[in-house]
Amino acid sequence: MTRYIIRRLLWVVLVLLVVVFVTFVIFFLMPSGDPALRFAGKGAQPQVLETVRHQLGLDRPWYSQYFSFTRNIFLGDQNGWPGLGFSFATRVPLKDILFERMFVTIQLAVGAAVIWLLVGIPIGILSALRPRSLMDRGAMTFALIGISAPVFFLGPLALYIFWYKLGWLPGTGYKPLSSGFGPWLSHFILPWCVLAVLYAAFYARMTRANLMETMGEDYIRTARAKGLSERRVVLKHGLRAGLTPIVTIFGLDLAGLLGGAIITETIFNIPGIGQYTILAVRRLDLYAIMDITLVAAFFVTFANLVVDIVYAFLDPRVRYD
Amino acid sequence: MTSRRILATASLVAVLGMIAAACGGNSNTANPTDSGSGAVATGGTYRTATQEFGYTDAFDPTGEYLGSAWGLYSQLLLRGLMTYNHKNADLGGNDPIPDLATDPPEISADGLTYTFKLHDNAMFGPPVSRVITSHDVEYAFERINLASLAAQYGNYYCGVIKGMTCSEKKLAPVSGIATPDDSTITFTLEQPTGDFLYRLAMPATAAIPQEVAKCFLKAGDYGRFVIASGPYMIMGSDQLDISQSCSQIAKNPISGYNPDKGVTFVRNTDFDPASANPDSGGNYVDGVQITINSNVDDIFQQIQQGTLDGSYGDTPPSTVEQQFATNPDLKSGLHADQGDRTWYFTMNLLAPPFDDVHVRKAVNYVIDKAALAKAYGGSLHAEPATTIEPPAVNPATATYDPYPSTNSAGDVAAAMDEMKQSKYDTNQDGKCDAPQCKGFIFLGRSSSPWPNLNTVAMQDFAKIGLQPKLSEVDTTTGYTTLQSVKKLIPVSLVPGWGKDFASPFGFDYFLFDSRAGLTCDTAVDYSLVGITADKAKECGVTDQFNAVTSEFGPIGSVDSKMDECVAKSAEEINQCFADMDKTLMEDIVPWAPWGWGKNLVITGTSTTHYEYDAFGDVISLGWVSVNNGLAPVNVA
Repeated sequence: MTRYIIRRLLWVVLVLLVVVFVTFVIFFLMPSGDPALRFAGKGAQPQVLETVRHQLGLDRPWYSQYFSFTRNIFLGDQNGWPGLGFSFATRVPLKDILFERMFVTIQLAVGAAVIWLLVGIPIGILSALRPRSLMDRGAMTFALIGISAPVFFLGPLALYIFWYKLGWLPGTGYKPLSSGFGPWLSHFILPWCVLAVLYAAFYARMTRANLMETMGEDYIRTARAKGLSERRVVLKHGLRAGLTPIVTIFGLDLAGLLGGAIITETIFNIPGIGQYTILAVRRLDLYAIMDITLVAAFFVTFANLVVDIVYAFLDPRVRYD
Repeated sequence: MTSRRILATASLVAVLGMIAAACGGNSNTANPTDSGSGAVATGGTYRTATQEFGYTDAFDPTGEYLGSAWGLYSQLLLRGLMTYNHKNADLGGNDPIPDLATDPPEISADGLTYTFKLHDNAMFGPPVSRVITSHDVEYAFERINLASLAAQYGNYYCGVIKGMTCSEKKLAPVSGIATPDDSTITFTLEQPTGDFLYRLAMPATAAIPQEVAKCFLKAGDYGRFVIASGPYMIMGSDQLDISQSCSQIAKNPISGYNPDKGVTFVRNTDFDPASANPDSGGNYVDGVQITINSNVDDIFQQIQQGTLDGSYGDTPPSTVEQQFATNPDLKSGLHADQGDRTWYFTMNLLAPPFDDVHVRKAVNYVIDKAALAKAYGGSLHAEPATTIEPPAVNPATATYDPYPSTNSAGDVAAAMDEMKQSKYDTNQDGKCDAPQCKGFIFLGRSSSPWPNLNTVAMQDFAKIGLQPKLSEVDTTTGYTTLQSVKKLIPVSLVPGWGKDFASPFGFDYFLFDSRAGLTCDTAVDYSLVGITADKAKECGVTDQFNAVTSEFGPIGSVDSKMDECVAKSAEEINQCFADMDKTLMEDIVPWAPWGWGKNLVITGTSTTHYEYDAFGDVISLGWVSVNNGLAPVNVA
């Protein structure tokens, strides 16, 4: 197992290098790919443009910039380790910005994940245990609506109802936990719920399908025949096997969100990685785009690794040695 | 079965519990503020939000080239020799007035020397807290002259003030600026410059304290350390420890400004109103908060809800605009002000069929400006333009309309008459019928509402036989495509242009002076007015240049006229530029201007006094008044 983990970690590094490389190439092939134009003013004179290019490091060939960027990630830059460069737009080091925003995004993603697991999985279990019942049909209707309603629709709708019309919750924005549990929770609850709806619906359907399939397996019949209680059959035998695929999906979903819940953060004005992605792309802020891509890729590849390891513990048939 | 029921019940309870927890959270209703009485109140905080600051030079005044930043500098933060009254153009908002200077300057008879006397009690705000001297003004010019600071509109000074080249490697005194004592400063110019006072009202020329700014000699780096000289300062400025080394100072920017989160301005405790021009602002509010909010709809909902007092630069959603336009209770909060911006078709003088002036004139006649303005959002957003320079920029063009039509709907008959004279109308039926009339690129914007405008334009083109291929791109791509001379985009509806300052020179310089606006990769003179054989060669369009000049003669230029006009006295300058405008509109015809843009600001009921700043083209924060009674808080 140890050798497997080390091998996978090396793969993670390789994948990250490739992702950064591809992003670099795409950035420099873009039609409006000269960020210096964005930061040199509307009537940019050649000498001003040249100065700006030089100060942003854009006067070097792209492969030289790529090399510096990757070297700084591993060895650090003047702002410490990891060296994530500086923002073209604000001329400030990106490391602190991204770490601060990452912490906000983690709160959003984990909170939403807790909700969708607590809502989606029980709904799926209930539906699986009573297929075609009123409860099942209601749950699957919820799932259909949840999957069909995108965040950019649900978000403004929720804001309109719960903030603008009912006044039950404060508007958009972010309050850190240090400002008090109440303000923190009240600002997060709506984005959590909105973000969780889609995933909860999806997880309910997944859980239902997996559990129904599992409950039809021979070993479940055997467990029942042995006289085990229904609760034990469902929880110990059915759920363990039925939920194993959910673990894989959950890992990837959570990792995807940690890389930035762009729409949710934009609608709810949450200063996380997703909101910063929009700013960075608008500004052609090369290092910021690179760093965000790197963060997202890291979470996804790392989550893959974690999922594979967890899988081995959940499913005795899976071994990596 | 019992176990199943227990499991089901437990699951149901869990689900309901979650839903209850989710939807029943803390009640924290925002109470809408009381309706404004209309009287000018003092105190309180003007709270606003914007999607993004969008600064071009990280808010460093030496290089920053964004109008909204100029508004903040000029209204709140910085003081130069000259300023504005920060009101609308019809209230004198485009006329420079003395600020740090006690009076208008003494100008020598030859127009080459300007001498100013400074107030002797004007102070920099904390932590510098000392009297502003003439050396601090001179220092601002030394910074403009320093190449590494990449002053983005340095052309207004370099080559104008003696000794300024914008290419110095080190900070050094400028030979054309003398400071005989702490309260006197003299500028010696290379040639008479009629609008020099406008240039001295630009933020890059405002006094800068050397003790802080010396630490920041790269473009943009000073942006988070801007020391106030105006009535307001950035919150937390007083916490800046300038006794430390430059490297230590640079690590701790002013806490009240974070370019990704927002900025808070509070009263500058060292500001002495007696040292300032009372016309430049009432400074009614105790603070201004500008928060970054990525959700533009939410910004306007918050204004209606009362948690914000007004907008700041973002265009309201059409539903909000409609509500404010139609609801009598809200109507006073809708402000549509002239943006001193012209929207136009640019036509390339080297690209067929627009290399023929008759085609360009025909386009000017045929376009339905009213329909374009309507497609753009209606009269609150734009009004039909009759010429290049908006009237507020050059009052001498106010009644000039070389391509008139009833209700600005276009004159198809006149357009066809013009087209008949073109070589591209081979049968002279008023419609372009040569092969070059079809399939050429018409570059338009892809974002809303521009596709609607592109459709109107395509219909108008068809009336005179032009059948372009429409290419819709995002705005940034549109501009960068046009900026590349060798792409030779024949016609485009992408561009718009706003003034830098309200002298016509400040509007026209980059647009039509080939020495400023015609660079091969960063051209602003998209039509290529004034392009020469050498420039054509440098930009790789020699063949097209030769073909056009051999067929139609030399390409029109206004460079010498520009030199002539800028040297005119303040009294004569407008008429001279109006004559140049006429040459451009009737002889060279690089543009078909279709609209003069407006800026839309929404204010909530808590805003009791509103003014528009014609210089910054934003709400005038120095004159705004609110009744919310709030103390400013740090939003950064």
